[in-house]
Amino acid sequence: MELTAKELHVRMGKKEIIKNASVFVKNKQFVGLIGPNGCGKSTLLKSIYKSLTPQSGSVFLGDLNVLKSSEKKVSQHLGVVGQFNEMSFDLTVEQMVLLGRTPHKKLLESDQADDYEIVEEALRRTRLQDYRTRSYLSLSGGEKQRVILARTIVQQPQLMILDEPTNHLDIRYQFEILSCVKQLGISVLAALHDLELAVMYCDYLYAVKDGEIYAHGRPEEVLTPETVEALYQIKCQTYINPVTKRLGFAYGV
Amino acid sequence: MVKHRVRSDRIGYFYFPIILFLLFLIALSAVYSVSIGQVHIPFRQSMNILLHVLTNGRLGSPDAVGNESYFNIIYQIRMPRVIFALLIGMGLSLCGTVMQAVVQNPLADPYIIGISSGASLGATIAILIGFGASAFFANFGVAFGAFVGAVITSAAVLLLSSIGGKATSVKLVLSGVVVGAFCSSLSSLVIFFANNAEGVQQVAFWSMGSLAPSSWDKVPILTIVVLLGCGIFLFQHRVLNTMLLGDESAVTLGINLSAFRKIYMVLAALITGTMVAYSGTIGFVGLIVPHICRGLFGADHKRLMPATLLLGGLFLIWADILSRTLVPNVDLPIGIITSVIGSPLFIYMIVKKGYNFGG
Repeated sequence: MELTAKELHVRMGKKEIIKNASVFVKNKQFVGLIGPNGCGKSTLLKSIYKSLTPQSGSVFLGDLNVLKSSEKKVSQHLGVVGQFNEMSFDLTVEQMVLLGRTPHKKLLESDQADDYEIVEEALRRTRLQDYRTRSYLSLSGGEKQRVILARTIVQQPQLMILDEPTNHLDIRYQFEILSCVKQLGISVLAALHDLELAVMYCDYLYAVKDGEIYAHGRPEEVLTPETVEALYQIKCQTYINPVTKRLGFAYGV
Repeated sequence: MVKHRVRSDRIGYFYFPIILFLLFLIALSAVYSVSIGQVHIPFRQSMNILLHVLTNGRLGSPDAVGNESYFNIIYQIRMPRVIFALLIGMGLSLCGTVMQAVVQNPLADPYIIGISSGASLGATIAILIGFGASAFFANFGVAFGAFVGAVITSAAVLLLSSIGGKATSVKLVLSGVVVGAFCSSLSSLVIFFANNAEGVQQVAFWSMGSLAPSSWDKVPILTIVVLLGCGIFLFQHRVLNTMLLGDESAVTLGINLSAFRKIYMVLAALITGTMVAYSGTIGFVGLIVPHICRGLFGADHKRLMPATLLLGGLFLIWADILSRTLVPNVDLPIGIITSVIGSPLFIYMIVKKGYNFGG
């Protein structure tokens, strides 16, 4: 499903956090959002998935006007793996994942056999079958993130938004999470910190600086030494990694 | 076809037998409760009288009962009291569970939004100042004052917490604290200037919480309010579960918490207000019962809610039995009993290793 977010403006108090940002995601495209901490990546994503209301601009998911539709309607097509998933109560992993069916359920409808099959499939994809009855709060950061991903898969979205999904995760989990998302074959918009991961997984990149889209294009076009330097204020040289044959980055040289 | 069903680790497939067992215990405890007291009435006779009353004379024979005064004691005094204990226990646990989900804090109780101090203020004013000569208000008296106090404070808390955007759980709790403190100081002011020792004692007694004022004429309103509340919230498990995740995640699952939070709080405030008006503030039930049930059944509200309601009712029936029998010939305020049982239990649960607020 295509996402078209046009000319978004977000103001908090007097500060303008997002200035005239437009983002497009084509059908089944994996689009990355890069930029330094505090540049407005999360805010931009939040204004797309209705957690924040932008002052102006429009967001369309296919034909669906996201900003004017109900949360329920939007959540049937759009899934989000957020940054903070702490809570003060405990659920089992399976209960947590089952909550992903909420958008497709009426208030009084109970979960049917096919809902459990969808949950089963998501647990398999995220390799969480053995975690079913484990308590969510007892899991490690990487496991928690996989549970949230499973919950989002269960939502059966046509577009998935990920807000720094690999934060605090070790290398193996970073790869696991992103590969799992890539295999879903749906449109993805993900804020990422690791540029090499961005090169590996993204079909298209948007670079955000001070609330504006600084550059966009294919990863090789965007990730030039000049752009990286401008974004992160650090000296950087790029090279082709002899082993992976992909773009690599050498910082501080 | 996947056979597996969501279940909590500890109870698992024993859930329904446990619910049935709780129902059975409640019935048994109710009969026991009406048979004991200052006049001891044998269990068999109590059961006969209860059956007779409950089935409108079809079952249980009043002839077997024989003693007219037994019938009157049970029917006029003890039955409404057991019904009160059951309903208020259910209602407090219900509102406790809902409030804990609403403010996303397992330490919340039904009084968290200032309801108890508001009701106390209303009752204090009703007792010490009165509503004047107007016969209409005088009729309702303390209960009316308490209810109005409870409703006004919770409205104030809701209003205060929604100033400047969405009502978040932190704002709700803080507003509750502020409004509660304000009401308490007003109550103190009224008590300080009241030249009425008997009235002051009455206020103190009221604030301890007691089931002594139960009577048949109050049963219908309480029954309707509590059962209606239970009926509504038993089917809100989907939203309540989503509430546990917090605002951010709830939105992405299609649920706008801010709206539900307000509706739930208004409902919980009305239920709690009614209960407080009739029985004063009975502490710890709404905090401890949802806790115990979460530990046993997990935090999934679909399973949690029915169990919490039943355990809450059972708990208060027994607290009431204790309050009537612990000291011979004295009817202790039930609020003292629930706190005496509740606080050590709560400390134990916190200290107990591995307890993590919910499962």
